Amino acid sequence: MASSANSNPVPKLYRSVIEDVINDVRELFLDEGVDEQILQDLKTLWESKLMQSKAVEGFHSEEQTLHAQPHQHAPQAQVQAHTQQVVLPSTHQAPQQQVIMQDPKVLQHMTVTGMSAAATAATLALPTGVGPYQQLITTNQGQILQVMRAPNGAQYILQPQQQVVLQQMQPGGVQAPVIQQVLTPLQGGIPQQTGVIIQPQQIVLAGNKVAQNTQVMQATAMTAQASQGAVQIQPQQQAAPPQAQTQQPQQQQAPAQQPPPMMLQVDGAGDTSSEEDEEEEDEYDEDEDEDKDKDGGEDGQVEEEPLNSGDDVSDEEGQELFDTENVVVCQYDKIHRSKNKWKFHLKDGIMNLNGRDYVFSKAIGDAEW
Amino acid sequence: MRPGRPAKLPVFSKDALRFASFAAIMAYQLYRNTTLGNSLQESLDELIQSQQITPQLALQVLLQFDKAINTALANRVRNRVNFRGSLNTYRFCDNVWTFVLNDVEFREVTDLVKVDKVKIVACDGKNTGSNAAE
Repeated sequence: MASSANSNPVPKLYRSVIEDVINDVRELFLDEGVDEQILQDLKTLWESKLMQSKAVEGFHSEEQTLHAQPHQHAPQAQVQAHTQQVVLPSTHQAPQQQVIMQDPKVLQHMTVTGMSAAATAATLALPTGVGPYQQLITTNQGQILQVMRAPNGAQYILQPQQQVVLQQMQPGGVQAPVIQQVLTPLQGGIPQQTGVIIQPQQIVLAGNKVAQNTQVMQATAMTAQASQGAVQIQPQQQAAPPQAQTQQPQQQQAPAQQPPPMMLQVDGAGDTSSEEDEEEEDEYDEDEDEDKDKDGGEDGQVEEEPLNSGDDVSDEEGQELFDTENVVVCQYDKIHRSKNKWKFHLKDGIMNLNGRDYVFSKAIGDAEW
Repeated sequence: MRPGRPAKLPVFSKDALRFASFAAIMAYQLYRNTTLGNSLQESLDELIQSQQITPQLALQVLLQFDKAINTALANRVRNRVNFRGSLNTYRFCDNVWTFVLNDVEFREVTDLVKVDKVKIVACDGKNTGSNAAE
């Protein structure tokens, strides 16, 4: 190809892949008796999502090439508004029950403003005429964003940290972890609605202000008048004790409803520190200090939680405030290491760096560990 | 013509057989978690939601996507990238390398991209098309 050195191969590549896939599956669609129109719908959806993600520069649909527009952002912007109309209504129908997060840490790390797929999130400018509802939208990172529309028109995008693992909706099941968030700001004229955190099968409502941290939300939700709440609390909530992951909010739930059973504790009694216990523990500690340290996490005693909670080195919080996780997906030809010097010989890769997509046929890298 | 003589089955050469079996082998599902792959999956999910296609069909589409993207990358991309950074973590499990690098510079002829953190997931490139791994 006598293309200029500056041409970005990505849009062409993506376009060709889309064409190939669509053409190859046409037969499959016909075999299943699916209409050609739906195949075109698939293609349209696919392209529109690609454009929305802004990960590809100069990506344009075939229709636009007919208009001979240059590869600018302008057509993308125009199309975005249009494609959002296409995208949103369909995602609106997605039942929330199918979204299941199995990682309890999600709750701790959720922030209202955090978005890891900033590009996608930025384009979710919901039409203001729409009433309050929840949306579950999968971003290009495979995460589920939940977009809340509050009655006052504010939008909140809640982003789980982990990827979503689909689906086991066990109707009425005790352990089906359905986690949702419903946030609405508390305004004067608005009937107090939902400030909700959901843990497995729990939906607790209270009117309160939106907070950035779900833990805070839980706390404030609980402190809000108990009389407000419990509009939608499922009966199972009262029966099934909350999981060990819950903290203060669970205790504060007590005023909201029947006092829930305390956290299940399997390590025996003797939580609080009394002098006697301390003395005994001290003696115990001296002898078996190492073991105690190792078992520190397993004791699960209330006092020790604060001690051990700082042990986790999680870089994740730093990154999740921002942008995409930069990912390179490829194949390796050779990985070499000498002492702490690593050499990478990679091939056929797709990279997403700083929100943009790149491809390579070969990549060679060096790193020190 | 003698009636009752059984028809001879066509004889395939070994190469032809190998080719036929090769085509049935799945390509790496590695590329599903990319912008292209994710947007396809999302689109398919929407169609499933609205019951316009079956999940089975969606799966077939994804399998076709795997083949298409693997082929396209192997044949239609011809550029080189260099990078340098510091290695934070490495993992080799099930023949898949996963690295996390910090402060990395990706260099192509045309431009330079710097990132604070990057995760590299690499499947075995020696025997492409013979594994279904992501």
